[in-house]
Amino acid sequence: MRNNSVTYIMEGRQQRRRRWIIVTSILTALACILCLLMLLLGNTIYPIKDVIRTLTGEQIQGVSFAVNVIRLPRMLAGLFAGFAFGIAGTIFQTLFRNPLANPNVLGITSGSSATAVFCIVILQAGNAVISIASLIAGLITVIVIYGLSGIRGFSIGRLILIGIGVQAMFDALISYLMLVSAEQNLPAALRWLNGSLNGSQMHDLPPLIISVFILVPIIILLTKHLSILELGEQSAISLGVNTDITRMMLILSSVIMIALATSTTGPIAFITFLAGPIAKRLVGAGFSTIIPAGLVGANIVLASDLIGQFAFDVRFPVGVITGIIGAPYLIYLLIRMNQRGEL
Amino acid sequence: MKPEHVFEVDQIVAGYDHKTIIKEVNLVIPNNKISVIIGPNACGKSTLLKTMARLLKPASGEVVLDGKSIEKIPSKKLARTLGLLPQSPIVPEGISVADLVGRGRFPHQSLLSGWSKKDYEAVAEAMDIMNITKLANYHIDELSGGQRQRVWIAMALAQQTDILFLDEPTTFLDITYQVEILDLLTDLNHKYGTTIVMVLHDINLSARYAHNIFAMHSGKLMAEGKPSEVITSTLIKDIFGLNCQVIEDPVSGSPSVVPIGRHHINYS
Repeated sequence: MRNNSVTYIMEGRQQRRRRWIIVTSILTALACILCLLMLLLGNTIYPIKDVIRTLTGEQIQGVSFAVNVIRLPRMLAGLFAGFAFGIAGTIFQTLFRNPLANPNVLGITSGSSATAVFCIVILQAGNAVISIASLIAGLITVIVIYGLSGIRGFSIGRLILIGIGVQAMFDALISYLMLVSAEQNLPAALRWLNGSLNGSQMHDLPPLIISVFILVPIIILLTKHLSILELGEQSAISLGVNTDITRMMLILSSVIMIALATSTTGPIAFITFLAGPIAKRLVGAGFSTIIPAGLVGANIVLASDLIGQFAFDVRFPVGVITGIIGAPYLIYLLIRMNQRGEL
Repeated sequence: MKPEHVFEVDQIVAGYDHKTIIKEVNLVIPNNKISVIIGPNACGKSTLLKTMARLLKPASGEVVLDGKSIEKIPSKKLARTLGLLPQSPIVPEGISVADLVGRGRFPHQSLLSGWSKKDYEAVAEAMDIMNITKLANYHIDELSGGQRQRVWIAMALAQQTDILFLDEPTTFLDITYQVEILDLLTDLNHKYGTTIVMVLHDINLSARYAHNIFAMHSGKLMAEGKPSEVITSTLIKDIFGLNCQVIEDPVSGSPSVVPIGRHHINYS
């Protein structure tokens, strides 16, 4: 009798697990294909064997420059930023049990951007200072909105509304800074307004890539804790999760990745927002959506960048394309949440 | 039989912000028994249970398990001895019954491991006891209130603790399900000797199912002991402010409260 139950439960779980593995494999394969396309396509389409030869270090006239200096950094920036945005977004959404509670909507990304623009326009600071300042600004934004929404009892609704308010404030600040900016600073500042992979350079990438390699394993180690936090504060404590420390570590890791990704590509609209729910729909609940969400994020960024580059007569930065995809989804979600009385 | 523990509440004062709700409560939980905390709304029953389950830090006093303050016991280790089913746990969207029950295994698992054979056995056992094995692959959203409550209890059972706290496990359930849940918890106590402490609203069901009653009124413990000794018309008048007759429950022989209102009274 007991053995039958074990077998029955095991079969169901293995089936769900198989789905997770299949979906994750497909997402990985898709990301590989998109990465390859990013290297192959451009003003000139190079044959695949030339691209591979350049990547292995061979010098081929024309190909080497286009692939190594222009396309490879662009591809890596899209891949890692998309991955980081996707993972950070799904962590926020899971922690706060609400798809609207993501770094975009909560104004965390705007906080980082406004600070970066301030550093560029007013302080004329260098890249390292900008990255660190925007990182700190992201963290302070989290603390402020979290603190404000905790007055008279924490509520998710208040967190989101305060976040939207904070975001509007930062956006106004950015607009003001752009107006007073000296003309030569504008291109650098503009980068912080809309996500773009244009002009990604190899030497800008290490902070983002290193942070992903360090923080993602930490986040994976906390996957189980996150799934317990999902059951609510009381259940989580009863199950032995140290809720404050776990939450802090997850938020800290996410904000660092977001700030560094933003300083590399700019705030690519809606990735933190879209990746989690799409991943969840694909893999089903019960298993972690962290890695799938990262892959979905990377896939959306890379695909959107390819669309932005080649689908139209004019080249659009990636953020414009993700904005076009994301905005309708945001509206749909608001309507659905309103109908369910969750807002 | 589950091992013996000594669980004591020592001079607890607790509350929220600056509002004191529990005022100097002392008690010892009887081992391998079912205890029920009763009392009127806002008397502090849930607050007491939360303080005992370390969800709320007492302003003063200590909750002591086997001679050690529960705040000093590592959280995962404590979670292997002491479990709590909160009043309104949160359901993650779209999760299947078996996966949810399996989350009760958290304190027994290491960071990265999948489910071990032991985990599967514990989940199967918990689901068999609660009679929900057939629902293993359903989504929680598809279940009725009574079924859901059994799933939550199964999750707490999969945690395999010696002591189990439940905060109003029967609230919002039809009477049939209330009796069913209490029967299942009694099975659990008989079969494994699990020490159960719960907050219940229904005095008559409490009197029937509890070995031991803790009666509270405005943050204080007013009486404790066997239902037959504690549940008297005087106590009910004192803590609930209700005039009543206490008769013998014709089914169980336990005390049963028959309230006296202003109308429908047959004798003078």
